[in-house]
Amino acid sequence: MTQTRPKILIVEDDAVAAQAMEQAARDVGAVPTLCGTYDAGLQAAGQGDFAVILFDRMLPGGDGVDAIAKVRAAGSTALVMVVSALGRAQNKIEGLEKGADDYLAKPFDPDELRARLRALLRRKNMVALDNDVIVFGDLEIRMKARTVHVGTTHIAISPKEFKLLSYFASNAGAVVTRMQLLEKVWNLHFDPQTNVVDVHVGRLRRKLENVAGRPIIHTARGEGYIFDPVQVPE
Amino acid sequence: MTGARVRSASLRVMLLVASGIILLSLAAMAVQYRVTAQSLDARQAELLRADLDAFAALYEQRRIVALRQAIEFRVATTPPDQVIYLLMDRDTKLAGNIAGWPAGLARDGTDFTADGAQPFDHAGQPYVGVARELPGGFPFLVARSRADTLATLADLRRLIGWVALALVGVALVAGWLVSRAVLGRIGRLNALADRVADGDLSARLPAPRSHDEFAVLQEHVHAMLDRIESLNRATHRLSDAIAHELRTPLNRIQQRLTALDGQGPQVAQIHDDIRATVRIFDALLDISAAEAAKGQRPGLVPVNLSELVEQVFDLYEPLADDSGLLCTADITPDLYVLGERSLLAQVLTNLLDNAIKYCHHGDGIQVSVHAEGDRHILRVSDTGPGIPDDLRHQMFDRFTRAERDRGTAGHGLGLALVQAIAARHGAKLTLPDTPKGFAIQISCPKLVIPG
Repeated sequence: MTQTRPKILIVEDDAVAAQAMEQAARDVGAVPTLCGTYDAGLQAAGQGDFAVILFDRMLPGGDGVDAIAKVRAAGSTALVMVVSALGRAQNKIEGLEKGADDYLAKPFDPDELRARLRALLRRKNMVALDNDVIVFGDLEIRMKARTVHVGTTHIAISPKEFKLLSYFASNAGAVVTRMQLLEKVWNLHFDPQTNVVDVHVGRLRRKLENVAGRPIIHTARGEGYIFDPVQVPE
Repeated sequence: MTGARVRSASLRVMLLVASGIILLSLAAMAVQYRVTAQSLDARQAELLRADLDAFAALYEQRRIVALRQAIEFRVATTPPDQVIYLLMDRDTKLAGNIAGWPAGLARDGTDFTADGAQPFDHAGQPYVGVARELPGGFPFLVARSRADTLATLADLRRLIGWVALALVGVALVAGWLVSRAVLGRIGRLNALADRVADGDLSARLPAPRSHDEFAVLQEHVHAMLDRIESLNRATHRLSDAIAHELRTPLNRIQQRLTALDGQGPQVAQIHDDIRATVRIFDALLDISAAEAAKGQRPGLVPVNLSELVEQVFDLYEPLADDSGLLCTADITPDLYVLGERSLLAQVLTNLLDNAIKYCHHGDGIQVSVHAEGDRHILRVSDTGPGIPDDLRHQMFDRFTRAERDRGTAGHGLGLALVQAIAARHGAKLTLPDTPKGFAIQISCPKLVIPG
């Protein structure tokens, strides 16, 4: 984390939702600023130096998705996450296509919001990583060759598993939720009845663990998974 | 568009009216013809009578001698193809402009009246005249040529023929032009209706140039479409409002739950219930959105169906595997359809979710994608318990669930959504017979990607 705490702008008219968002922002170590209307939100976005903006959609005065282009045009480099009651797959895809960096449907789980905020803040601070090799202790991921090694042992994984692993690696140390995995790795924006993701994570986890001899992907109770190859089991 | 050939009602009406007018015109011309023929004949009869009257006067004074002189004088001053004069003494010609008595021409009467004029041919020319035998055995003939009369009548007949032909021609051309104009305007309205039926509710025609009955019809159609469009928009707004008005309070419940401490399992259960509730009205909204967008082109993009099915299959295959199900896929690569990726993915996840949910250990699930004619066919089948017969006809209705499945999680919206999404893509849903289990086949119109 940087020296100064990142600022998060919250544009939300529902008090309870806004409160939960403020709490989540504080939980991830950021300073929240709250606006209750579309126009106030747009104005604030143009003035402050925000790392992330959370925008509601059905706001008094306008739609947060329409605000994205205006925020960008005003020169803000903030990442925009739409948090909306318009939460069907089509709404999400529309929002993402119109430039949202993330889209979370209401009702949301505060854990989910925190995980996504962390991912966005990390992305914000990340200097463009074009390293071919990502190293976590003895675990080596070669991006171009799409191979994984622990020490000198090669671990055979499928292309989809590699995609899963690289998403984990880019969020190393932080909670990654099932919904995030489904969206980012499988590009599916709806909630399937069964937790299909668990089986995939379980398989990848076993493959890594068998060779490394220690847990690489940890389960965060109820929230999701944490990829942390160097964490010492408690 | 209807493929069948349309028989133009306007063309038929036009031709009916035109043929009536033509018949009346022809009847009028026939009357004119008869009148003309009669007046020409009357003129000839008049001239014949004048000749005969003159001969009668001379015969009255000096009998045959005077008659003979008069005929010789007439013959000298009259062209022979106009009039025939002949006076004979028994079989000897006394005077006249023909050599002998025309063969087969009977003589009757002894007077100089014009009654009983008879037509006959002489030297290939038609004549009408009076043949007499004057007292003392003198055959006497005065006849006038009918050639001019007949030629005039023939000209008249030819003229009538040409006029009739021209009338028929004009009627056909006029009928074709009128019906083409009418059909053109009706055709534009038909094309508009087709575009609307294809989903383009905002389609309209440009304002008509003239304010006639077609313009009025177009105004009515436009008014109707405006109404449908505004109702459709209202439905969409309602869906959004439902989403907003239900999700916002649910969100409050969820956020307040988070603040509760100490009842971990109960709170987690409520979270799950909220998630299930959201999934139900998402499914309902998805169904109505897909139904509203049914057949509409906007929003559909080329989707690699094979790749998508492969991806979703790969997502579910390990899950099926873990449940002891044998899951196989037979996918022809690179088959494209025009669709919405997310919706198509949802179809397959719903079908695979169901298959995995209802199949038992050891059952098999098969997924296949292949091309057949102008369609790409996605087929999902399993060897599970299948669908009870009494549910087969209502399995696509919302909230339909089998009695035996009451204990299984679900809300009976999966297949309703599958059907709505299939309809939105113009795809046909069929349930092929399988010896065991359940099979469903979705055939989408194929999309040929150039190059």
